[in-house]
Amino acid sequence: MSTTYTFSKEDLAEIEKIKAKYPDKKSPVMPVLWLAQDKFGHVNDDVQKLVAETLDLPPAHVFGVATFYTQYYKKEMGKFVIDVCTSFSCQACGAYDILHYIEDQLGIKAGETTADGKFSIQSVECLGACGYAPMLQITNGVYCNHLTKEKVDVILDKLKKDEMPAFERIPFPQHTTAKS
Amino acid sequence: MAEIFIDNVRYEFEGKPLVLQFMLDNGLDHPFFCYHPSLSIPANCRQCYVEAGTPVFNRETNSYELDESGERVIRFFPKLMTACSLEASDGMVIKTHRTSELVKRAHKDTLEFILVNHPLDCPICDQAGECPLQIQTYKYGPEGSRFEHKKVHKPKRIKLGPRVILDAERCINCTRCVRFTDEISKSHQLTIISRGDKNYPATAPGMEFDDAYSLNTVDICPVGALTSADFRFKARVWEMNQTPGVDVTNGKGCNIDVWTRDNLVLRITPRYNAKVNDHWMPDFGREDYRRMNENRISRPEVNLDGDKIKSSWNNAELTFTEAIEDVNPSEILVIGSAFSSLEDNYAISAYFNRLGVNDVYFTPHIEAGSGDGFLISDDHYPNTNGCRALGFNEVSAAELKSKITDKSVKAIISLEDDLIGRGVINAGDLKGKFFAYFGSNNNETSKAADLVVPITCSVETISSYINVDGILQRTVPAKETIYTDRKLNLEMSLGRLDRYGTKFDNWVSDSNKVDCIPTWEFLERISRNQNSSLGFNESGDVFEAISSNIESLLGIDYNKIDELQGVQLEISSNKTEV
Amino acid sequence: MLQDWKNYQPLLIPNIPNLHRMDVYEKNGGYEQLKKVLTDSEYSPEKVTNIVKDANIRGRGGAGFSAGLKWSFMPKPDGGPRYIAANGDESEPGTFKDRQIFEYNPHLFIEGAIIAGYAMSITAVYVYIRGEYRDWINMMQKAVDDAYAKGYLGKNILGTDFSIDMYVHSGAGAYICGEESSLMESLEGKRGYPRVKPPFPAQKGLWGRPTTINNIETLANVPLVIKNGSAWYKAIGAETHPGPVLYGISGHINKPGIYEYPTGMLVSDLINEVCGGVRGGKKVKALIPGGSSTPPLRGDQLEGVRMDADSLRTAGSMMGTAGMLILDEDTDMVDFLWRVSLFYHHESCGQCTPCRDGTGFLEKTLIKIKNGEGEMRDLDLLLDLCTQMEGRTICALADAAAWPVRYTVTRFREDFEKRVKNTVYALA
Repeated sequence: MSTTYTFSKEDLAEIEKIKAKYPDKKSPVMPVLWLAQDKFGHVNDDVQKLVAETLDLPPAHVFGVATFYTQYYKKEMGKFVIDVCTSFSCQACGAYDILHYIEDQLGIKAGETTADGKFSIQSVECLGACGYAPMLQITNGVYCNHLTKEKVDVILDKLKKDEMPAFERIPFPQHTTAKS
Repeated sequence: MAEIFIDNVRYEFEGKPLVLQFMLDNGLDHPFFCYHPSLSIPANCRQCYVEAGTPVFNRETNSYELDESGERVIRFFPKLMTACSLEASDGMVIKTHRTSELVKRAHKDTLEFILVNHPLDCPICDQAGECPLQIQTYKYGPEGSRFEHKKVHKPKRIKLGPRVILDAERCINCTRCVRFTDEISKSHQLTIISRGDKNYPATAPGMEFDDAYSLNTVDICPVGALTSADFRFKARVWEMNQTPGVDVTNGKGCNIDVWTRDNLVLRITPRYNAKVNDHWMPDFGREDYRRMNENRISRPEVNLDGDKIKSSWNNAELTFTEAIEDVNPSEILVIGSAFSSLEDNYAISAYFNRLGVNDVYFTPHIEAGSGDGFLISDDHYPNTNGCRALGFNEVSAAELKSKITDKSVKAIISLEDDLIGRGVINAGDLKGKFFAYFGSNNNETSKAADLVVPITCSVETISSYINVDGILQRTVPAKETIYTDRKLNLEMSLGRLDRYGTKFDNWVSDSNKVDCIPTWEFLERISRNQNSSLGFNESGDVFEAISSNIESLLGIDYNKIDELQGVQLEISSNKTEV
Repeated sequence: MLQDWKNYQPLLIPNIPNLHRMDVYEKNGGYEQLKKVLTDSEYSPEKVTNIVKDANIRGRGGAGFSAGLKWSFMPKPDGGPRYIAANGDESEPGTFKDRQIFEYNPHLFIEGAIIAGYAMSITAVYVYIRGEYRDWINMMQKAVDDAYAKGYLGKNILGTDFSIDMYVHSGAGAYICGEESSLMESLEGKRGYPRVKPPFPAQKGLWGRPTTINNIETLANVPLVIKNGSAWYKAIGAETHPGPVLYGISGHINKPGIYEYPTGMLVSDLINEVCGGVRGGKKVKALIPGGSSTPPLRGDQLEGVRMDADSLRTAGSMMGTAGMLILDEDTDMVDFLWRVSLFYHHESCGQCTPCRDGTGFLEKTLIKIKNGEGEMRDLDLLLDLCTQMEGRTICALADAAAWPVRYTVTRFREDFEKRVKNTVYALA
């Protein structure tokens, strides 16, 4: 099963815009990999090749860059990638319990994808939401904070129905105390 | 002059040398892995640590500050410095492992870390014996390991390309190979992938590492991570002899080392020459070792009623003399060869000049556009400029063909050049003429000859060449013929096995030696048969004759070539039109 | 001035609803400082640099280096491009402050960056934001677009001959890219390998041109300084480390989050007064004051410790990013340290030997101890490995990996001794 990946005219126009931001030809590689991942859901070998061809760069260079950064999916992942932060602030607030709970709910381990291709779970490094621990991020997108098992259930139910949880704006504590 | 103090010894320097290179140039041993003089400096292996300090200069008094005992006050850098990336400055003070316990400890520390994830497989590793990691671990490394955990596992036996095999576990991430493809060969085919201790070099998925210079990465790999697909598991390095030579597969004349064991050439690696090839050579030049071992012409051959039969040297000499004496000098066509050495070419022209044949012809083997402007020249032969220097008549392939087919020509003498194989003539063109061929390897042309004289190839006798840039270089014999003996020939290297083995050891095979002699020796014998002498008793005699007769080579001898690592001659770059 | 913290009104993130919107920001005096600097002939680039230098804004990204001094390292303009790389990589565990600026007050940062650009004759600002902050990158992009629309960015800003561009660049998951030279490599579309210095970024930075790298929060301080003057700024907070700072407080605490207060706050005030104390009324076992690489302090070492460079150095740690992690008395420091080591092992770029192989060595040894397989000698081994890593690499990641190990093992040794086997070696 081989899929051919191509950029549409709109994509190519977008890539031209990206290129205009940088003074040389190597620099757009990261934003273009992002663009490709948003479009195809991953940047596997073929997508990396497409990016290299589009930017007229050595394929090895794109490969080196794509494998350096953990957010690029070098293979196809589940439709929803659940990144549970287990770094130290989250660890202190029970992130591993949350991670194991999600693993149990989905019947897979961190690093695996469900058979139906819907979910992948990863245990990831600090996502910069330490004050709102434990937390997770869905497919490099929305942050879900202050997790409890109950909250995880709600999130998973939503995702099963293909609904993405909404962005949570966490109030700045000094603003709320000032008002009261 | 600026001065630098290394381990309390004063050295003088000019310009802005890097401390590591300066130490190496001054014969001071210092451990390092990632640094390579011809590549950029990433300073990533962190092995070449030194303590470095500079004297404190007082601007008010315009002099160096001194301490109570009158010594200069030295301000040391707060951290250890990597010598590879550190520029020497006037008055700098360097402490290495010889004088600093801290540096000694740092060298040991870095080696401990390198070895943490490096497999302990030296006994089966090709690099063993010539491995910087192995050598430096012996010299500077820790005595044992404190690492009691599992090593990181990575892919092994990966065919990166047709000629290079990767063992990622052995890789220490010095990035020399990646920098080589980025900076020297510019194929950009390699990258380091992944991150941290999972790092290793790779090509893009589905891509081959088929760079025309790929095997240089094997040479510069400081461990056994990259090995040659061809040479793998063939020999341990300490069993081989290493002899300097010159690559004859094209006009650049890359300097090489010829590695032999029991008179078989097992591999060819580049030898440093700043004027010619730096540290590099193209891959196909390395495959030339096969020509030195295989398909060799051993013992003379004569054509007897259409059949090639092996003959004695006596019979070959007789056949040659008779054929030459049978015809007028004006009926003899002598063809030199841009593939052969100056010595071979000169010998043949000297002999026939005496007979009254004044002109020697040759046709170069140049294919415009086949080179790459780097180390692969358009010229496929190593000595085109040599033939020109000897004053041979340079003719086109068509002109040579018409000379050969000219009715007035009755005897043709040709020095090693596969004229039929490369399409200059065809076998039919030689019909009805006596054709003597001096060559080392069987080919289409040797097949068509009436007499085949087996001559030594570039690694069996001293051979000199003038490359496309006019640099005169020479080889040293690396491989014995059945008439030479490395224990008697002082130029030949004597390896461990040669020195301590005997002719009766079961790994010795006389069949690896070829029954051949240098061209000059054959012609000297012929001369003596004719009660004369060319005065050639050894290669040096031939070269002496060349340098005294050819103006552009006046005063040059083998010693001078060695001393100067090749002598730059003035050449007119193009063939002069008549 | 420090006593007054209870009445402190946030400056970086003031309590103004919808301040992230251009109209609201402008209505509240936004971009006035930019206008002043660009149009008032009194404000030459040198003068702006000197004001910032005098105010002593110390870098909020971790190293605490004077921003104005850094600016003054830039060579004289030669007509070619010059860059600011604004560092919003914010990957140090325990740190989540810059995203508040992107979310609540992006224009303050943009205004500060343009003023900095004016001071150093910059042609383009690249805002490097960690890739995980997808939502905040979008917010930032929106703010940049608005600033372009209003003519604060682009050609001939406010009718002057000063032009500057600003581009938002997304990272993709690599802690090392918060290191300034690695960040530049990443911006140039390469693997994030830190560069050997010299040359320094001011001489040879992005694309070989003079470049200054400043943290997002650092640049957000600039308009405040321009508005109120350096004397006003220096009077805020600690004497040697002045200004407002975003404290990111996390861990076993009742009210974790980001709080803006002056530097030099008493740690005890932050924990007890600001954050409502430790959860369940427990005692503090450990404080990591400024992100994972700053050495942990014992709960019983915190008396009188203030959050500024000098006070923390005296206490045996560093200010870092002011991302404070508070751990309660039930915390197992072995588990904690293992997780920190895992982080550095995962994030080492793999360029330098001591870091590439040292971080793994540390983590594997800590796993051994965590699993109860460790021995007393392993504790000494850990400290030895730290010595072998500290100061031995191109960037400071090896140091950042070694310090928490060194100081957790020495300051919380009892936790480790409890976990290791009591092996007795007989002399052979």
